[in-house]
Amino acid sequence: MAGPIFAAGGTPDRVQPGLPGADDARLRRLLFEIGRGEAAALAELYDLTSPKLFGVILRIQRDRSLAEDILQDAYLRIWRAAGSYDPEAGRPLAWLCTIARNRAIDGLRRKGAVEVQGPVRDDGEDWVARLMDPHDDAAAFLDRDALAACLGRLEPAHRDCVVLAYCEGQSREELAQRYERPVNTIKTWLHRALASLKTCLEAVS
Amino acid sequence: MSGGPGDLAADPGSDPDLRAAEYVLGTLDPGERAAMVHALATDADAAGRVRAWERRLSPLLAAIPPVVPPSRVRAALLRAVPAGSGGSPDPLAHLRRQVRRWRIATAGAGLLAAGLAVFVAFGLRPEPEGGRYLAVVQGGGALPALIVRVDTRTGTAQVRPVGAEAPAGRSLELWYVGAAGPKPLGLVGAGASRVSLPQDATPDGVLAVSVEPPGGSPSGQPTGPVVYTGKLIAE
Repeated sequence: MAGPIFAAGGTPDRVQPGLPGADDARLRRLLFEIGRGEAAALAELYDLTSPKLFGVILRIQRDRSLAEDILQDAYLRIWRAAGSYDPEAGRPLAWLCTIARNRAIDGLRRKGAVEVQGPVRDDGEDWVARLMDPHDDAAAFLDRDALAACLGRLEPAHRDCVVLAYCEGQSREELAQRYERPVNTIKTWLHRALASLKTCLEAVS
Repeated sequence: MSGGPGDLAADPGSDPDLRAAEYVLGTLDPGERAAMVHALATDADAAGRVRAWERRLSPLLAAIPPVVPPSRVRAALLRAVPAGSGGSPDPLAHLRRQVRRWRIATAGAGLLAAGLAVFVAFGLRPEPEGGRYLAVVQGGGALPALIVRVDTRTGTAQVRPVGAEAPAGRSLELWYVGAAGPKPLGLVGAGASRVSLPQDATPDGVLAVSVEPPGGSPSGQPTGPVVYTGKLIAE
């Protein structure tokens, strides 16, 4: 049975255009200038990339005011870390998004207590279909086809756990609640899915 | 389809690659996540595993639709960074160039990517009459790795490790990075130690710690990744 996340075709009404002007060369130049302490370059980078980073953060931290704090915090981190950006570490937009994502996840997992955020979203989040949609930031992330193909080979529930954790910051406990399984089962699902993904991606590339 | 006996890696602690994967996924619990963040500051292999998983999963980011943030965030951000920059030479830029050169010299070693390296940006102050300085040498985590007290009059420095950990089978080596490039100060041991500074050491130098073969760099220049850096501040 194909899971709902993988089922439908495109969802064009949700897909926004990419980030105009945010090409790799320009972002790399801005990161270089930010590394030299140029605040104007930070402002320009922010204007180009903040909608993407805010989108990433809001998926994980649904409290808008906390999400705004995380966005600012992420750019302050970028301000400090830009000098250490190494093009070999990944494409610039992916690097920026990773910083934003990490800040958002840190915010959720910080307090020692495990929190479950509100009701889970409905099943209509068509992540993999969106991944396949070539209009959204098509140029900014490599290897989308390989990842989509390898996700498609996973057991649907296992794959959905991976995608919901990555895109929405769902914890093992939230996934356990969603799938009505013990937390240890979710852990096993995640590990199986991740191990298969790695094997599959290595075979494809 | 549920997890039965014989599942691979039912114990999350058993496989470092799955732990790295779950760190990137965000599903480690707070304690495991904090331990991972700590490990990333010192363990080049762990950092490499995390980077590889970031690369594998990052195409999913393309699926997330952008949302324009309210303009107050931009205003607050720009208030928080120093305005009117670009005038005076940034002392950190020098360190970054230095670190880049080291990175180029150490192909494959890479702790400095993806925000893992956090540079300590203490302001420089004019040398006080005492000539005594302090550097809190940090990696990516919140904890300091070393506290270094420097006395430029006597040309000595006292090194106290706090949270510094060398990867198994390797040594951590402390460097003073001045205008002339990195100079070795000695290995970072488990206890406090006293080292001599190079004669031309000035307060605007930077202290850095790199991962080296046992016993220290064979070449007199850093050969491994720089895991900690810190600047001197007047005490």
